Amino acid sequence: MNQTELVVQLQQGDEAAFKKLVDDYQVMVYNTALGIVQNAEDADDITQEVFIQVFRSVSSFKGDSQFSTWLYRITLGKALDHEKKAKRKKRFGFVQSLFGSHDEVDKQQAEFDHPGVKMEKKERANELFNALKQIPDKQRIAFTLHKLEGQSYQEVAGIMNTTLYAVESLMGRAKANLRKELKKYYDINILE
Amino acid sequence: MNKQDNINKLIEEALNSVDDAQRAEPRPFLLTRIHARMNKGTESVWEKASWFISRPAVAFTGLCMIVLLNVMVVMFNKTSDSTTVAEQTVQTQADEFSYTVATIYDNDNTP
Repeated sequence: MNQTELVVQLQQGDEAAFKKLVDDYQVMVYNTALGIVQNAEDADDITQEVFIQVFRSVSSFKGDSQFSTWLYRITLGKALDHEKKAKRKKRFGFVQSLFGSHDEVDKQQAEFDHPGVKMEKKERANELFNALKQIPDKQRIAFTLHKLEGQSYQEVAGIMNTTLYAVESLMGRAKANLRKELKKYYDINILE
Repeated sequence: MNKQDNINKLIEEALNSVDDAQRAEPRPFLLTRIHARMNKGTESVWEKASWFISRPAVAFTGLCMIVLLNVMVVMFNKTSDSTTVAEQTVQTQADEFSYTVATIYDNDNTP
């Protein structure tokens, strides 16, 4: 079954097509979400939400872009929304802590450990993921899609609905900002 | 190797640390969890309301409105208090010094 057939069957509400959709794209959706939110539980939640939204709104997919591009856009939108909600919750937790309740503040996010990174590179990767949290969303998205999802700059441009030149520029700035953040971290944590 | 060289080396290692990373996979039985979530239904009205209220723009506007209302109430009370005090003072003085309007009848009735 190719993408077009899959979409047609999904639009007809075919249950088997939905199962195939989840089987074929779950890793793509989950890995992208995980790269953005850096939390396995949250990424799992987002993955579920993405597939539910696809199931409900597949009729609005007109085929202007590739189906996977559409899926990437939904995933990124959900992941960024999720992050905003988490930040709001954290802020609310801080306000609550001022009035005596410490529950929300105590739930600080633990250091993220991407399961796909090789053992000998885990430590550096953790530092990279921490630095990623500090750079602007667009740069982070471009970096995540290219580095974690293995998308080419051209594909990233398609997903982000921008030009190849803009993606090159975003990647350049992302790397420069990451270098800056990492340098800040190592300056403090590396001894002479 | 001095500290700066060491840091530069670590930065490059960190930037390249995810280059050959495997894609992460979700926990098994994702489809089952999706079905369970679909059957659970959408967010309740209260969840939606709390989400709306906790938005920074809404929360900040609400807070400003409350502060503004309080300021207005305080200002209004101050104005009405000072008016009352002034009225009371005039009344007290009038009583004390028997400020009355002398009329022709008062003169006629004065022995």
